[in-house]
Amino acid sequence: MTTQLDPPRPDLATPPPLRRPDAWRQKFPGLALPGLIWYAVFTIGPVIAMFVIAFLDWPGMLVDPGFAGLGNFRDVFSDPVFWDAVRNSAVQIAVGLPIMMVLAFLLAFYVVRKPRGHKVLRFWLFVPALISAPATALMFYSLLNPDGLVNGVLAALGLDGSRAWLADEATALPSLIMIDLWAGIGYSAVLLASRLDSVDEEIVQAAMVDGANNTRLAWGIYWPIARDFIGVVAMLQFLSILFSSAQNVLLLTKGGPGTSTTTLSYLIYQKAFVDADLGYSQAVGIVLFVVGLIGMFTIRRLLRPTH
Amino acid sequence: MKFPRISGFLAWGYALLLVIPFYYLVVSSFKENDDIFTNPLKLPATWDFGNYGEAVGSADLVPAVANSVIVTGLALALTLLLAVPAAFALSRSTGRAGRIVEATFSLGFLIPTFAALFPTFLLAAFTGLFHTRTFLILLLPATAMPLAVVILTQFMRTIPRELEEAASMDGASTLTILRHVHLPICIPGIATVVLLCFLSFWNEYLYSLIIIGPDPAQRTIQVALPTLQLTTGTDYGVLMAGTVFTLLPVFAVYAITQRQMQRALVSGAVKG
Repeated sequence: MTTQLDPPRPDLATPPPLRRPDAWRQKFPGLALPGLIWYAVFTIGPVIAMFVIAFLDWPGMLVDPGFAGLGNFRDVFSDPVFWDAVRNSAVQIAVGLPIMMVLAFLLAFYVVRKPRGHKVLRFWLFVPALISAPATALMFYSLLNPDGLVNGVLAALGLDGSRAWLADEATALPSLIMIDLWAGIGYSAVLLASRLDSVDEEIVQAAMVDGANNTRLAWGIYWPIARDFIGVVAMLQFLSILFSSAQNVLLLTKGGPGTSTTTLSYLIYQKAFVDADLGYSQAVGIVLFVVGLIGMFTIRRLLRPTH
Repeated sequence: MKFPRISGFLAWGYALLLVIPFYYLVVSSFKENDDIFTNPLKLPATWDFGNYGEAVGSADLVPAVANSVIVTGLALALTLLLAVPAAFALSRSTGRAGRIVEATFSLGFLIPTFAALFPTFLLAAFTGLFHTRTFLILLLPATAMPLAVVILTQFMRTIPRELEEAASMDGASTLTILRHVHLPICIPGIATVVLLCFLSFWNEYLYSLIIIGPDPAQRTIQVALPTLQLTTGTDYGVLMAGTVFTLLPVFAVYAITQRQMQRALVSGAVKG
């Protein structure tokens, strides 16, 4: 069975040499072991530990943990702060993700049609993907402070320019969503453009001969062709918003004011490293893991290939 | 091709939203607070590097850069050392074991970073490497394994078996084949992995923050930078100078390897 999958040999004049150890090696990739063990210790190990700790009663590092059964999950599900976090994460994704995907798709479509300056555009669209969370956060910290550029522009336009965007309960979460969008649209657009680039030019020309305008071209031809790939990018950004954008929360708002920016990921951090309620923290971790799985399957169903 | 004005307006409007913050960042880094608030977009009156000196001094940015270079460099070397042989073995294996190993690696994309943070912190404490950059040098390659292995395996699969067989008939050992047949062909794949890992290792924040902690002799640039918020309060000029300082290496690499970096980011995301 191992040799059947080999590519066909063009030159059958010389018989393949007998190499027993190699046949064994084909079945068992021994050279992959060091990498696999490394990966298991540092990455799989902590995930397994998460599933164990979630069932422990462990109020702080210096205390001996006891068994809690489902107690942590009962605490989590009866805690209003947890439900605030669910709501904030849901808003962040339900508002951020569709806007990001639609705008990124339009941007990718624009770039792919090669208007003047598309090379400059492609260069800049990547930039947010290059810079670290602390650098992005500090930049927005200074842009959004009460004396920052955003308020300066608003004041110049004759609008209210005195808001403390990140310290105001009404605007803190929307500001964080804006940062997700600022960083995510460009990167998603470049990824989508890499797929749209390969759309058959003949189909496009034929549609244009038939009188299709740009709107028809974008939604009627490019979107359906790239649909499954848009699903892939959507999944990527979904996981990034759900799992990693809490770095902005940590750097900019610490979940506040109140619980207005406490997302699920941030709640895990806060319970582990601020409140020292380790069982609770890891129970939310399991919830988050499950939410990630469900979200991925949902996106795959919504954007699966139509053909 | 003609476009409705609205789409061009949207595209360039967004580009402007990307450029202006960086412009603001750079000009503010040469100004005092008053000047930043009253003339946010005006060029600075003098190109005074005083803010840079203060940022570098008060957040110990020089040792932090050194630590980042050490962590990024060693973690990169370790990643290649683990991933290249693994990809080599996986590309040649046709049995079930190989497929299971590959599937195990690709599960890594589903791990919630914030949730795995505390157990990783426990592991650091358990190994006695807590509050050292050593632990991060060991940890980062593990997080990069899924992507590195997937990308390199795909490259190695394109190598025809005949090449290998010819070499092994000449008496070459497995390692010789890896070095002289596979490595040269995989240079573009290795470059992709190096660029991707450089970005993610250099920019890594959360795990560095918790595991390396606040010691200026150990912490990386990404951990040192936000401390400016505390040490200099709301001196935005100094804050922006520190931010520009940490961005320079990444922009330098992007300027030099623009095409390769773009290709790396695209293939990294798509294969992930």
